[in-house]
Amino acid sequence: MADFDQIIVGEEWESTDLSLLETLDHVLNRGLVIAGEITISVADIDLIFVGLNVLVSSVETAHEVLRKREIE
Amino acid sequence: MKFYLYCFAEGLDRLNKPQRGVSGAPVQLLKIDDLVAIISASRGEAFRPNRDTLAHAAVVRSVFKQTTPIPFRFGQAVTEQYLRNYISIHRQAIKARLAHVRGRAEMNVRMIGTRENAPPPVFNPEKPVGPGTRFLLDKRRDFRGDEWRAAQIAELSAWFSQKLGKLTRDEHINVVPSERVVIARADHLIDRANILEYRTRMAQAIEERPDIRFMVSGPWPPYSFANIELELGRSSE
Repeated sequence: MADFDQIIVGEEWESTDLSLLETLDHVLNRGLVIAGEITISVADIDLIFVGLNVLVSSVETAHEVLRKREIE
Repeated sequence: MKFYLYCFAEGLDRLNKPQRGVSGAPVQLLKIDDLVAIISASRGEAFRPNRDTLAHAAVVRSVFKQTTPIPFRFGQAVTEQYLRNYISIHRQAIKARLAHVRGRAEMNVRMIGTRENAPPPVFNPEKPVGPGTRFLLDKRRDFRGDEWRAAQIAELSAWFSQKLGKLTRDEHINVVPSERVVIARADHLIDRANILEYRTRMAQAIEERPDIRFMVSGPWPPYSFANIELELGRSSE
């Protein structure tokens, strides 16, 4: 399992457990958006949030979600 | 009929090997003038979390092995007409973005540090206040937090600049203070030829900061540098 204080790149990176969460962070939180609504009907925010708790990934997104939930 | 979107690229005639994408659909290249959209047919079915997100990532990564694309975020399916209209309107921005990422890759640095010098709390939850006061206190807290965060970002940016020099072609830094720690993320756009040098310099830089825990990953397709709308917004300011 990869940990902090590591530099993980290339093929070595792709074989780590953490690569799944990093990959999800990239494809779900980043990238070009051109459609008005992103149709994530199954991979919803809960999936992202689980990943974030484990990885401390894109905490800004998690904070945003929590803030919105508080407002609602 | 809709197309599921993976990435934009240029100068791509074919994929090195046939790919199956989201929902198992074959990946195709749709050439629109001098741009290429990497797509697959979408029948509108619900996405399956792991399988489809990983399929999306795998297609983008396979293109990334041939050229540096502009990746789409997961989950977008549009009609061909919608895509053609988008390209027609944003052609220059897409081409500028492709030129910006050409021959480059994204590296990510995640950092966790202690929360020294964080802004002191301005709201005491033990003391009851009305909704108006609460609103103003929240505003004040946000304002002070923003100032503090901007200072942290500036400090980190200066540190990266000192350690990485001109290796970094573009950079995004985000800092999120939580109760006990400060969590930051830096995204760096690096020439592919300099990735090894980047790793070496980051390894040296990490040694100098025992107060921060680091994790560096990459190379990635430039997901964090793909936002054309953001750039259009900036340029119109």
